[in-house]
Amino acid sequence: MRKVMPPIRVPFSWGLGAVAALLPLSLAVIIIFLLQAAWPAIAFNGWGFLIHNSWNLGNMYADPMTVRGIEVLPRANYGVLFLIVGTVLTSLIALALALPIGIYAAIFLAEGLRGWPRMVGSFLVELLAAVPSVVYGLWGYLVLIPFLGKYLFPWLAHTLGVVLPIFRGPLGSGYGLLTAGIVLALMVVPLITASLRDAIVATPLALREAGMSMGASRMEVMRRIILPGQKPLLVGVAILALGRALGETMAVLMVSGNALNSLPTNIYDSVSTMASFIASQLDSAMQDPTGMAVHALAEVALLLMLISILVNAIARGLLWLSGNRA
Amino acid sequence: MNGNHRMMASKTPTRSFVINPMRRLVDALSWGLAALSFALLIFALLHILVYVFMKGYPALNLKIFTEDTQGIAGGLRNALIGSIVLSAFALLMAVPIGVSAGVYLSEHGAGWAGKISRFLSDVLVGVPSIVLGYFGYIVMVIGFGWKFSLLAGAITLAILMLPYIARTSEMALRAVPQTLREAAYGLGCPEWRLVLRVLLPAARIPILTGILMALAIALGETAPLLYTAGWSNYLWTGHFTHEGVGYLTYVIWSFIGEPYQSAHQLAYAAAFLITLMVLLINISARVLLLKWRR
Amino acid sequence: MLKMSKTMRGTAVAVLAGVAIMASGAAMAGTVSVLETGSSLLYPLFNLWQPVYTKENPNVQLTTASTGSGTGQAQSMQGLAQIGASDAYLSDAQMKQHPSMLNIPMAISSQMVNYNVPGLNGAHLKLSGPVLAGIYSGKITHWNDAAIAKLNPSVKLPDHAIITAHRTDGSGDTFIFTQYLTASTPSWASDYSYGVTVSWAPVQGNIGAVGNPGMVDAIKNNPYSIAYIGVSFKKQIMDDKLGEARLENKDGKFVLPEIKNVKAAAAAMVPKSPADQRVSLIFAPGAESYPIINYEYALVDAKQPSAEMAATLKKFLTWAISSKGGNAEHFMQEVNFVALPPSVVKQSEAQIAKISG
Repeated sequence: MRKVMPPIRVPFSWGLGAVAALLPLSLAVIIIFLLQAAWPAIAFNGWGFLIHNSWNLGNMYADPMTVRGIEVLPRANYGVLFLIVGTVLTSLIALALALPIGIYAAIFLAEGLRGWPRMVGSFLVELLAAVPSVVYGLWGYLVLIPFLGKYLFPWLAHTLGVVLPIFRGPLGSGYGLLTAGIVLALMVVPLITASLRDAIVATPLALREAGMSMGASRMEVMRRIILPGQKPLLVGVAILALGRALGETMAVLMVSGNALNSLPTNIYDSVSTMASFIASQLDSAMQDPTGMAVHALAEVALLLMLISILVNAIARGLLWLSGNRA
Repeated sequence: MNGNHRMMASKTPTRSFVINPMRRLVDALSWGLAALSFALLIFALLHILVYVFMKGYPALNLKIFTEDTQGIAGGLRNALIGSIVLSAFALLMAVPIGVSAGVYLSEHGAGWAGKISRFLSDVLVGVPSIVLGYFGYIVMVIGFGWKFSLLAGAITLAILMLPYIARTSEMALRAVPQTLREAAYGLGCPEWRLVLRVLLPAARIPILTGILMALAIALGETAPLLYTAGWSNYLWTGHFTHEGVGYLTYVIWSFIGEPYQSAHQLAYAAAFLITLMVLLINISARVLLLKWRR
Repeated sequence: MLKMSKTMRGTAVAVLAGVAIMASGAAMAGTVSVLETGSSLLYPLFNLWQPVYTKENPNVQLTTASTGSGTGQAQSMQGLAQIGASDAYLSDAQMKQHPSMLNIPMAISSQMVNYNVPGLNGAHLKLSGPVLAGIYSGKITHWNDAAIAKLNPSVKLPDHAIITAHRTDGSGDTFIFTQYLTASTPSWASDYSYGVTVSWAPVQGNIGAVGNPGMVDAIKNNPYSIAYIGVSFKKQIMDDKLGEARLENKDGKFVLPEIKNVKAAAAAMVPKSPADQRVSLIFAPGAESYPIINYEYALVDAKQPSAEMAATLKKFLTWAISSKGGNAEHFMQEVNFVALPPSVVKQSEAQIAKISG
């Protein structure tokens, strides 16, 4: 077959650029769409959306009425503070658990193991990130919740609860804030462990030797010299992990207790997160004949998206500054 | 590793032999915590896997593979095929676009346009999958009138996979030695031929690994599919729109909450199958990469 | 990519071949797929119907999904599902938006108020609308509250906080439960009213559950809890030895959701059904009437995209409401429903006749 030069005159790279532009473009399209879908809700809810605890579609069997030129059901009122609080708290608990465990596990992998045991160990930890969200939900629902509700929560209330009020009862049944936090921690911990392990392994030998020659033990070198040097990386990765936890849906939906309109009073209380709420409420919202509930849900999605983008942008910026790319 | 530690310490002169019990205690505690943290993670992973396999394996039988779901009983043929078909079509869309974007970022990504697209695709990775699902529902399912359908589900999954594929392809291509490019250009090779004949073949294994990882993520997703692919008790009939598609993760999520034993068995079997698939993909990706590095 | 290892290519080919073989049994020509989604209360009945009906009519593919009445309403109005299952009829505003929607009763159902109070689960505690409204609005917080004690003078009630369970998904059970509270308690009517989704008061320790299965689970796992659960889950409630409350009816009598009480209430309310059958059967008069009963609706668009779909739906729905088909006693008994009385079957048939393609 005779080779034929492509008839296109446009440089090849332009074509590549056009295809590559699809990625940022899809991001822009999603944001524009969400903004458009959320607009009536933003106009109707105002700032109250962020500071009230009220997800109220209104009286569904009454006739719609017009408020400030917007058609809504009587008594419709939307405030999602409880979702914002639930999302932030579950993610922060996840981070508080995942950071120390992730860091220590990375130290163990980098310093305690070598050769194929390190490789297999690292792979196993990274597999934690590969387990599907819904499988975490299943395991959380069938294994973790009964265990926490029966053993860990009562124990925590008896020990930590004596000192810290947020650990005091009522204990609930195992669904809730702490449970969601634990599941999320397992899902994001590989991110922390893998990045830090790589960074430790890549630490210049000279730095270790310098520390050792001063009489420091390996662990002291780690704690005093290597880890402080990885602070920017750790902060970046931690925020990245936070971003992932914020948007997690199925596992949280299955273990969080799905509270409505109420803020948690202790660490065992049920919560809802923005992501899980969108999953569980979209169809209920669709029944609102005025469409306001769908707009309000789009506003939740927009809020979640903006928070995720912000968190991710900060994390990427920090990682970029620290010269790492996770 | 404790012995290891002592051995290393003994090499260091003078001061480490001045026994400071406090320092030793802190050291031992730190090692203990490190080992404990690692053990905890491994235990959690193994517990999840063993639990899913122990519950799921007995729930498997021939019917699971040969029959479709009947309400909350029957088999999982429809869901298994549905999961594969959804991911396959998502791959079909995401791979050409993702790899091309990766080529662009690696070969022309030095300028501001490249930096911005790289940053934005990293941000796109962070968009929660449920937001993508919401987008797919309102735009494709309702807006375009496709209803619950293969196409709506596959496109949503493709958007989800795109940034992963793009970024891993970029990394893979960047690792290709610069000399190869110089040699090709020196021979008067046009860029398209350089990319297709030199760069992509040279980086094929890491690119493939990235694609496999994206596939594993897509197979395990639930949230973006609930409102785009919907659900069906029947095998995919070949229609791209207007007909829901079943998938395994739906069975896990939906059937475990039903108070019937038959529903639970299906959920366990589905969890077993999806976890096994994701696990195998992850292991083969890892093995591929290791073999290639050697 | 050409140098992809042989084993890998072999695996890929094997996987594809496997998929092809498994898929080859599918895609028979001339089949019609019908999607039913919605009420978790109707779901068990549809799952009983599905294998029987599709065996007799192999050209029909019937997919069932338990998603909540809210989903049934939303997806049937949008044309995503051919049959939206709902314990609640569509509102006036929804009908105005989708005038071609039909609300066709499939059966008569009732709702239990269940509780888990250790030691008292066999006692059938007496509860009234105002007491339930007090509990669900957070005004009555303990089981030994004077209002509950007054209804149950001979029972020793525990001094323990009440854990309320409510549905977080759009639910017809929420609809009929809050209709009962609205009809019996003026303060509930003005503060909360009724609907498929209600803005629940933030009662301490309350549990949001998804679907009737989630409600059963919630009270099973939480002692001192209370929930409203569709009667098709009665078997699970009995298996788990949970409590079933006697509710105060309009005549001030306390009754259980037994078939004879449901039939008594139906006899009082059914004659009031208008031609479009959108009617509340709640809080029926009569000494024996159980206060929370309702029609289980199939929400169907009268205007179908094809004549084939219209004919399929007509045939299926006619079968479903017939006493020789879906309303046969063995189906009804399994889920504790009551078959439609002949006058309602006539009305439903008239509505089914309006479906066209």
